[in-house]
Amino acid sequence: MAQTVKINVTVNGKQYEREVEPRLLLSDFIRHDLGLTGTHVGCEHGLCGACTILLDGEAVRSCTIFAVQADGHEIQTVESLGTPDNLHPIQQAFIEKHALQCGFCTPGFLMTLVDYLGDNPNPTEEEIREAIDGNFCRCTGYFNIVEAVKLAAQKMASH
Amino acid sequence: MKLEGEHVFKGPREAVWEMFYDPEVLASALPGTQKLEMIAENEYEGAMNVRIGPVSGSFTGKLVISDVVEPETCTLTVDGRGTPGFAKGVGKVQFIDQGDGTTLMKYEGDLNIGGALASVGQRMIDSVAKTMIRQAFEVLDKALEARLAAKASGSEVVDFKPPSETEFAAAVAKDMAGGLTKIPEVRLLMYIIPLVAVLVLLAVLFRGCSG
Amino acid sequence: MAGKYVHQSILRLEDPELITGNVQFLDDIKLPGMLHAAFKRSDYAHARIKSIDVSEARKLPGVIGVYTAEDFGDYIKPGPLQVPPPTAIKGATYAARTTMPIAKDKVRYAGEPVAIVIAESRYIAEDACDLIYVDYEPLEAVVDLEKALQPGSPLVHEDLPSNEAGHVRQERGSWEQAVKEADLIIKRKFFINRNAGAAMENRGIVVQWDKHAKQMTIWCGTQSVIALRNQTAARLGLFESQVRVITPNTGGGFGPKINTSLPDDVLITYLAMKLDRPIKWFEDRRENFLATTSERDQVHYCEIAVKRDGTIVGLKDFFYHNTGAYNPYMMTVPLNTQTHTVTNYRVPNFLTEFYVVFTNQMIVTPVRGAGRQYGVFVMERMLDAAAKELGMSPVEIRRKNLLPANAYPYYTSIIGQDFVEGVLDSGDYPSAFEKTLELIEYDKFVKEVQPKLRAEGKKVGIGVACFSEGTGVGPYEGARVTVGGNGKVVVTTGYTSQGQAHYTTFAQIVADQLGVDVKDVKVITGDTGYFGWGAGTFASRGITVAGTATHLAAQKVRQKALKLASKILQAPEEELELADGVVRVADIPSKFIALGDLATLANPMRGTMEPGTEPGLEAVAYYGPPYGATGAGAVGLIVEVDPETMQVSLEKMAFVHDCGTPVNPMVVDGQIHGGIQMGIGDAFYEELIYDENGQLVTASFMDYLFPQATDMPKKLVLGHMETPSPLNPLGIKGVGEAGAIPIPSVFTQAVENALWDTGVEFDRDTLSPSRIFTYVQQAKGA
Repeated sequence: MAQTVKINVTVNGKQYEREVEPRLLLSDFIRHDLGLTGTHVGCEHGLCGACTILLDGEAVRSCTIFAVQADGHEIQTVESLGTPDNLHPIQQAFIEKHALQCGFCTPGFLMTLVDYLGDNPNPTEEEIREAIDGNFCRCTGYFNIVEAVKLAAQKMASH
Repeated sequence: MKLEGEHVFKGPREAVWEMFYDPEVLASALPGTQKLEMIAENEYEGAMNVRIGPVSGSFTGKLVISDVVEPETCTLTVDGRGTPGFAKGVGKVQFIDQGDGTTLMKYEGDLNIGGALASVGQRMIDSVAKTMIRQAFEVLDKALEARLAAKASGSEVVDFKPPSETEFAAAVAKDMAGGLTKIPEVRLLMYIIPLVAVLVLLAVLFRGCSG
Repeated sequence: MAGKYVHQSILRLEDPELITGNVQFLDDIKLPGMLHAAFKRSDYAHARIKSIDVSEARKLPGVIGVYTAEDFGDYIKPGPLQVPPPTAIKGATYAARTTMPIAKDKVRYAGEPVAIVIAESRYIAEDACDLIYVDYEPLEAVVDLEKALQPGSPLVHEDLPSNEAGHVRQERGSWEQAVKEADLIIKRKFFINRNAGAAMENRGIVVQWDKHAKQMTIWCGTQSVIALRNQTAARLGLFESQVRVITPNTGGGFGPKINTSLPDDVLITYLAMKLDRPIKWFEDRRENFLATTSERDQVHYCEIAVKRDGTIVGLKDFFYHNTGAYNPYMMTVPLNTQTHTVTNYRVPNFLTEFYVVFTNQMIVTPVRGAGRQYGVFVMERMLDAAAKELGMSPVEIRRKNLLPANAYPYYTSIIGQDFVEGVLDSGDYPSAFEKTLELIEYDKFVKEVQPKLRAEGKKVGIGVACFSEGTGVGPYEGARVTVGGNGKVVVTTGYTSQGQAHYTTFAQIVADQLGVDVKDVKVITGDTGYFGWGAGTFASRGITVAGTATHLAAQKVRQKALKLASKILQAPEEELELADGVVRVADIPSKFIALGDLATLANPMRGTMEPGTEPGLEAVAYYGPPYGATGAGAVGLIVEVDPETMQVSLEKMAFVHDCGTPVNPMVVDGQIHGGIQMGIGDAFYEELIYDENGQLVTASFMDYLFPQATDMPKKLVLGHMETPSPLNPLGIKGVGEAGAIPIPSVFTQAVENALWDTGVEFDRDTLSPSRIFTYVQQAKGA
């Protein structure tokens, strides 16, 4: 597989030019080529949602997109949200409501929610469950994640 | 996995039987087939390559025909193996003369599959098989029509152009996944469907292919 | 037992780093020169290997090596037993056939590795797998548990006379006597199927061999660093000290990650040494389903002997247990089933017997719950059946037979997974049950709500079930607590973490003992370079066993600090206190010494040391309980069933549990929540389905249905009880598996109740809409 393609991608505001194989998955590109390992891969077939990123502002699964498809596009990963000392309100809400345990699925939830809460700032409990239905979590039973989303919505409204 | 069904061919039983005896016709219903050749009396070997976009897989298959009652019935045993798994099946094919110049083909069989075909593709196989079979019969209908026309005109040349591999694969993929193909989540689905479909078709058609 | 930190819901200390992606999970590790591994796996469940052709694969550019069993020579042999055989049980028999790291001559389950490829990238390694051609002679697969033991069945291990992997029979009282005393004997057969651990992070391993230092470093999300280190060292002829196992952040364990001497760790450690390059292998999801251990089926034949008034006089349970193709984990799962069958109730006569069966399926080892829920399911189902036969309510029959609150310690006469007689250390089962009824508003639902909704044509039902959870078993865990010159504290333990909040809860325990801010306590788990003793993360034993060891070590450090400070401050120890990071005279707060300064003084660089003293404000402690601490509780559930689709909506769940002292109640709730998700999966969604040829047909999340947010109960109410365990100083019991245990029991009862007019009775723990539909059709036809 010697053939490579040159792509230009903006990730978290930084521009990258890279030669990639056409078959390279976007998730692998982000994680292994760019070293942004906050995005996780849980199933490689688009079901679990752990690898969710924002592609031009929209939440998508990076494990079912090729890196070449992201050429010329803008990507945001969990690394763009907040730092331990300066957390994003959704991250803060997740901590306060104990909405993460092993933390492996969490970046996917966060990216899904950044997109979702941007469009739906005041969701009902039922809507929240629907919104996160495409993200799997084995640790929390989702109960505290739902609570965290409610809290995050409040925090973001008051910001 | 049980497979059964029937199809009406618009032609006399002998012509249908003859067509199924012709590996080239069969191969044409099955784009990607690299060879389908007789290695012994009632024993065939087939190899096929499937290439649909980024997906590729190669299969080899062996077919043994037994219990032949020409031109009525036969039993077929197929054993196919490839990178995404294996398939092994036994099937019985019947050709019934309907008395109106048409032939009813009935088939029933039991197919065992393994590897990725089974562990990822199992739930899709039933519907994939149905689509593949329907489309293959469309090809065979045309082939039969062409053969009968050639026979009627006394021509040596059969005017029949089988669909290309790409056309065939595209038709199947479209039929199976419908609008889903646009969604990235079904990438894996798209990966596995054609492979599964082709192998199932291979098995089914091997059963029906000659006698 | 509450302290400044213990018993407080403090927020997790590990979260800020974890939630910003600032941590390292296994697949994040990148080492210079690192190679990648992929496995060629068997498509067949049972076949003889006639030949393997790897020539084309070896030619692929980027491929470093392709290896089959032959290439490893004598290195390939069955792995060690991970758990000893149950020789403590009289009459127990077993045949041990442990995991083959790579198939030699024969494959015994679909997914078993037949070759391993090492390449410059994972993509190339997988390409090469497609170029490996294996010629198999397919054999008939052993799939059905009962048929497997019949004469003439194909054999998974041909050197054994049958597929029997073990047999255990235990009895308390006399079943024969129960039969004599009973007014009624009710018989039932149950099918049980269980799920995959399905941690969101798959398994993986990175191995680096430093040929100059003669030192191996293994990064692995294992639940037992000690076992992995020791087994690797033994296999490679190294000292334990030459192998360091480090667990990076790990994305959930749930049982399967406890296993060691699996194909990956056996082969990759060897190849990293041989090739002198670091190697990474990270499983994909399909491999996880196919080839990472999981739990599977049991078939139970059960009889309950009762009096007319509902009093249980005896229970007999005979069952078959599927152990898969190999049995490295021996009998932990079926022994848990035995010990958890009658735990909550007075059952004077109890006969329990099982056969363990080899099949051509993936190896069975514990998954959260680890067989406990089978026992609970069987018992709860039998109570439901008895109640029906006797015309009693499910509540009445339970109330009548629950172990009373004054029954503890209760000696069960049944030997469990820790090879000692099960003893229920403490508890109050009747109160847990009554509290559950209150929270689910049982009476109100049955008398008012249900009749009204039924009149409207709605299929609503209620269920209530009890459970116990044997937790915190031996043998032991240890911890080292060290105060640094900076006044902060480090806790190291051989225990491993996969998200259970140990970095917070262990810190809470230490902070209370040493009077420091909890944020000044750093916890390091799962790194043999720091702490080299322990057993592993299983049986809900983290906070109970490792937490207690941590507590004991912190107490020792406290004693050392007091003793030294007493000299320095010239005040008797009794007058000193540890608070705010200092040791001070309680009555004269200005008279103090900072803990960090004390730590520096405790490690003198010159001069003499008093005989009998040890340097540093540091101590190691070990804790091993005589038997496990048993948590318990009850659950109530209200469901509505759509009569057309048989989709079940979980309207409300009330879950009451007792895990003794909760070190961090918030974390305890989280554990219950996660367990419930898994229990719901167990009851309604998740199923590893093998076809009649031993092919796993649910090896992706498209077919293996993982419960999602919309599948959870619409309303969940937790009820807490605290009956401290007398076994450890903090009164802790484990809670990691509680949530997962009783859900199938309560689910089947509630759905049956919703469909009461059909007369349906469920005899299996894994339902699905289509299965419920089939049951209802059968009930109607009967």
